Amino acid sequence: MIKSHPGEGLLYQYVSGDLSAAMTLVVGTHIDMCKTCRQTVCDIEQKLCEENLDTLVSIASSTMSKSQCDQMLEAIFASSACNKQVHQPNELLSLEGRRFTLPRTLAHNSHRIGEWSKLVGKLWRAPLTLDNGNQTNLIYMAPGAKVSEHTHKGLEATLVIDGIFNDEQSEYRDGDFILLDPSRTHTPETQNEDCLTLATLDAPMHFTSGISRLLNPFSHLFFR
Amino acid sequence: MQMVSGRTSKRGSMTTTQTDAADKAAALLTEIAENRSRAAFSEIFRLFAPKLQSYATRQFGNEQTAMDLVQETMTNVWHKAHLFKPDRGSPSTWIFTIARNIRFDLLRKNKKRKDDISADELWPILSEQNDSLDDGYALDHDVLMQEISHYYAKLPDAQRVVIEKIYIEGKSQQEVSDALGVPLGTIKSRTRLALKKLKELIVDND
Repeated sequence: MIKSHPGEGLLYQYVSGDLSAAMTLVVGTHIDMCKTCRQTVCDIEQKLCEENLDTLVSIASSTMSKSQCDQMLEAIFASSACNKQVHQPNELLSLEGRRFTLPRTLAHNSHRIGEWSKLVGKLWRAPLTLDNGNQTNLIYMAPGAKVSEHTHKGLEATLVIDGIFNDEQSEYRDGDFILLDPSRTHTPETQNEDCLTLATLDAPMHFTSGISRLLNPFSHLFFR
Repeated sequence: MQMVSGRTSKRGSMTTTQTDAADKAAALLTEIAENRSRAAFSEIFRLFAPKLQSYATRQFGNEQTAMDLVQETMTNVWHKAHLFKPDRGSPSTWIFTIARNIRFDLLRKNKKRKDDISADELWPILSEQNDSLDDGYALDHDVLMQEISHYYAKLPDAQRVVIEKIYIEGKSQQEVSDALGVPLGTIKSRTRLALKKLKELIVDND
């Protein structure tokens, strides 16, 4: 049973597309694993769609003319299906004699997972290359591993893909999503089980326009 | 069954007019997917292009970028209509999520490098992969593959082949279905039965 979820404000920003790529990946992977949040996301999609598309408020200075429409239709019919060769999703991850099944969004981005390197203290790390400005890593903690106490410059989001780890506050299992702000210090560690997590240090993009700023009462938590 | 009830509750919050509009749009999308009907697409276009234009103008404050969003979104609708899943929401919600993806990429266009992640990789709504999310029968990860390998032999042949293809060769259920020429539903039930059987075997031997 997943007990630690992204807040509703974060889910709104996920749906509207206002989170950074890294945060979108971590939240999206949680949603793959969490039926409750998947349902919430469906509801938010419908709500945002109603507010943005269904309720047509025409503010375009000139709405599309008939010739513009015809021109665009012609261009669309003339276009070829752009099947950008996307990378084959790969659900399987092998590491240290363990095999993990990656949730959907992560599986679709498995080609972005870099080389694993061993860190101190029973820890392994593989970077994910998404875009500039974010550090996103898969982190594997063997049983009995400990990350030294640390604070963060930006928000840190951590998602448990498989296993159990704990810090001073609580214990986290498969699918748990943990968001830490810079003021918190914590010491993640594993006990008898190992743990694979996806973690990102986020520098959220700041949009001056955009629907989530109007809708999301929590945005001050994420845009600072 | 779950899908059907989900759909009912979703539709339940809509007015009759909205439901009619949604049903009509869904029928048009089917017509586009099955018959590549230009007439049906033109009608979808007339319904959605002005709404998308209004949404995009608010988002970008730039008429040209707004028109780019309309064109790219509707181009996806034309080519990907077969990927619309009526049980996951209304046609307008589907089109909205496509527009959201296009917006995500357009906002990053200037900064984007060649290998940067794109919206379609973050929200794989237009993926041709039939990767289902109902993973209620996912393998218990605490069980090492090596440990269970010798239990394979005890599975019925039909189930063993499926398990090997999925968990050893790493194929998706759809790929196994294609490779064996067996319906996807059968592959799913064989997977489920085989995993159940494996778990029983392991528990009995512990």
